Amino acid sequence: MIDFVQMTVSGIAVGSAYALMALGMVLIYKASEVPNFVQGEMALLPVFIAYMLIYSYGQSVFTAFVGALAFAMFLGCFLEFAVVRRAKNPNILGLIIITIGLEMVLLGFVSWKFGADQRVMPFPISSYSSVMFGNVYISTLDLLTLVAALVIMVSLFLFFRFSRLGVAMKATQQNETAARLMGIRTNRVKMITWGISATVGTVAGLLLAPVFMEPYMMWDPMLKGFAAAVIGGMTSLPGAVFGAYIVGIVEHLFGGYVSMEYKAVVAFAVIVIVLCVKPSGLFARHYVKKV
Amino acid sequence: MKNTFLAVVMGALLVLGFVPTGHAEVGVTDTEIHIGQWSPQTGPAAPWGAVARGTDAYFKWINANGGIHGRKLIHHYFDDAYNPAKTIAGVKQLQEQTGMFAWVSGVGTACGLAVKDYLMEREIPWVGPSAGSRHWVTPPQKHLFNVYPLYLGDAQLLTEYAVTEMDKKRIAVVYQEDDYGKQGLEGAQHVLEQHGMELAAKVPVSISDTDMRPHTMKLRQAEADAVLVFVTPGHVARLLGTGKAMNFEPQWMSTTTCGDFPLMIAITKGLYEGVITASFGMAQPTGNVGGIEHINNPNHELMAKYKTEVYDAFAAADERWGYTFTTGIGLAEPLVEAIRRAGRDLTREKLVAELEKMENFQGLMGRITYGPYDPDDPLCRIGQQEIFLQQCTADGGSKILTDWQTTEFIPMSQ
Repeated sequence: MIDFVQMTVSGIAVGSAYALMALGMVLIYKASEVPNFVQGEMALLPVFIAYMLIYSYGQSVFTAFVGALAFAMFLGCFLEFAVVRRAKNPNILGLIIITIGLEMVLLGFVSWKFGADQRVMPFPISSYSSVMFGNVYISTLDLLTLVAALVIMVSLFLFFRFSRLGVAMKATQQNETAARLMGIRTNRVKMITWGISATVGTVAGLLLAPVFMEPYMMWDPMLKGFAAAVIGGMTSLPGAVFGAYIVGIVEHLFGGYVSMEYKAVVAFAVIVIVLCVKPSGLFARHYVKKV
Repeated sequence: MKNTFLAVVMGALLVLGFVPTGHAEVGVTDTEIHIGQWSPQTGPAAPWGAVARGTDAYFKWINANGGIHGRKLIHHYFDDAYNPAKTIAGVKQLQEQTGMFAWVSGVGTACGLAVKDYLMEREIPWVGPSAGSRHWVTPPQKHLFNVYPLYLGDAQLLTEYAVTEMDKKRIAVVYQEDDYGKQGLEGAQHVLEQHGMELAAKVPVSISDTDMRPHTMKLRQAEADAVLVFVTPGHVARLLGTGKAMNFEPQWMSTTTCGDFPLMIAITKGLYEGVITASFGMAQPTGNVGGIEHINNPNHELMAKYKTEVYDAFAAADERWGYTFTTGIGLAEPLVEAIRRAGRDLTREKLVAELEKMENFQGLMGRITYGPYDPDDPLCRIGQQEIFLQQCTADGGSKILTDWQTTEFIPMSQ
């Protein structure tokens, strides 16, 4: 029983990082209706910028992290403004290809600029300390990631529900033409959404970096975040978080009780099952466009 | 008329063997010897790209010192991103368009296997694949000379040490699901069977896995007191970190692949202290058991020489002086030595003959010995069979635990 509880807790712990990535993906999908495959690299580059600020410019960890988050905001806005918006009459496939292309460009840039060596990010909390609940452990870094994921989810929920910009984002996602007619600058709204998405992803990156940093560090979390977003329905923030915890827990229980060999791919089996049973995802709400 | 005359003369020269290069062997001219190599400079395995850069700096140093018998070594290395499809495309292109005299090193078992038949069918020498795989000598190939000690040997020596010297009772293996990891598992099981013991746990790791919690839980459930890890340095770092957070701290042991202590200390934030790994060289354990080696201030004479003459002079400014870089030198040394011994009249046949005569040759690695080609004897191409154990110190130094130990070759089960 202890093992089952430990596996579940560990699944929730790893699910928190997936949740942050999934939230970022859902934000962009809601605004631009594109599965964003550059999500991981939009977090990767700011993480390496933070590392550079610490080691090359002698900045404190706090300053470097704030700088990284600010840079992420800028990077997300820039990518939307300079690349995605320029696509002429884009269809979904075209946009997906654009995000994959951007992913390769950013990954190549990080590999070229910072090299392939493995490294770790300094962090105020030790990535090796843990909190014990009886015989069940959770590392303090995992606990922080869990709290960050929940705080960001609640903040985004409140933002979309009560802020003018959040409501404008929802309106843009539901009917862009109507939103524009109502005076909403939809292009600007989309740009800011990309910025917020990159910032949320960067939080995940900064919480993963104290354990391990390398140019490919965001690939697995991005894929699992994507799986979580699909399970949740691609347009639901709570759905993305719920999907992320499902992925994390299923992975751990599957690895513990069934097969460690196939643990890494079980998330995608879950996607297939969910899409067969409920194609729109577990939490999606449909907005029917009336003619 | 003039052109026809010229063509006839050139044709006659070619027929008579008087080609303008003055030498008939592919990849060898009057002034140059062309050597090929692949390595991942990009992609997830890019940290191992330093092997090729080490070889490159080593060849530049040789050329700066006059080359070999008046010829420069021209090093052609390309980035295959650890992708066998790219390896074979790059090897074919270089071999068929430029013409390599021989190939050296080449990172990765899968990448090497992709081109092994191509090179062997054309009788092109290939020296020192950068992976300790049994495939290089099973069956032995006339033109393929292994240098890198097999991972089987690492596992044997580590397990033997854990059982006999450290009195460990519950030994577990964490292994990557490929040739590297499975050899480690087999070597450990082989030694444990000899001691009438069984593995406490065997935990596979997928190369794409970044979450080591389930793996660590398995090890903890098994109450392992020593864990042999045959995975990448990144996975080792995550395993140790997760283990520390779970209050699970067995004696961690690993292979030559994870023996770059300064790097490992940095990426584990000091957790690597006390970890025991196998080593294939870069230090001289004989007469130095209990001593401590530091790569930045090596006692090993040749290492010190290469640091100042090769690395300082010819490596790129952002290159790290580490064991991956020096492995690129160590794997190329037997080839260079054989070219030197073959003399000015260099042919592939002479190169192979000189390699076969090589006995207890020692550069940065352990002693390397080959023998006349015997298709039934893997040892005629195995090269180095001795390794030693070292333990990581707090500052990334290597405490030498054993002298050179010769490991047993275990044939591949069919």
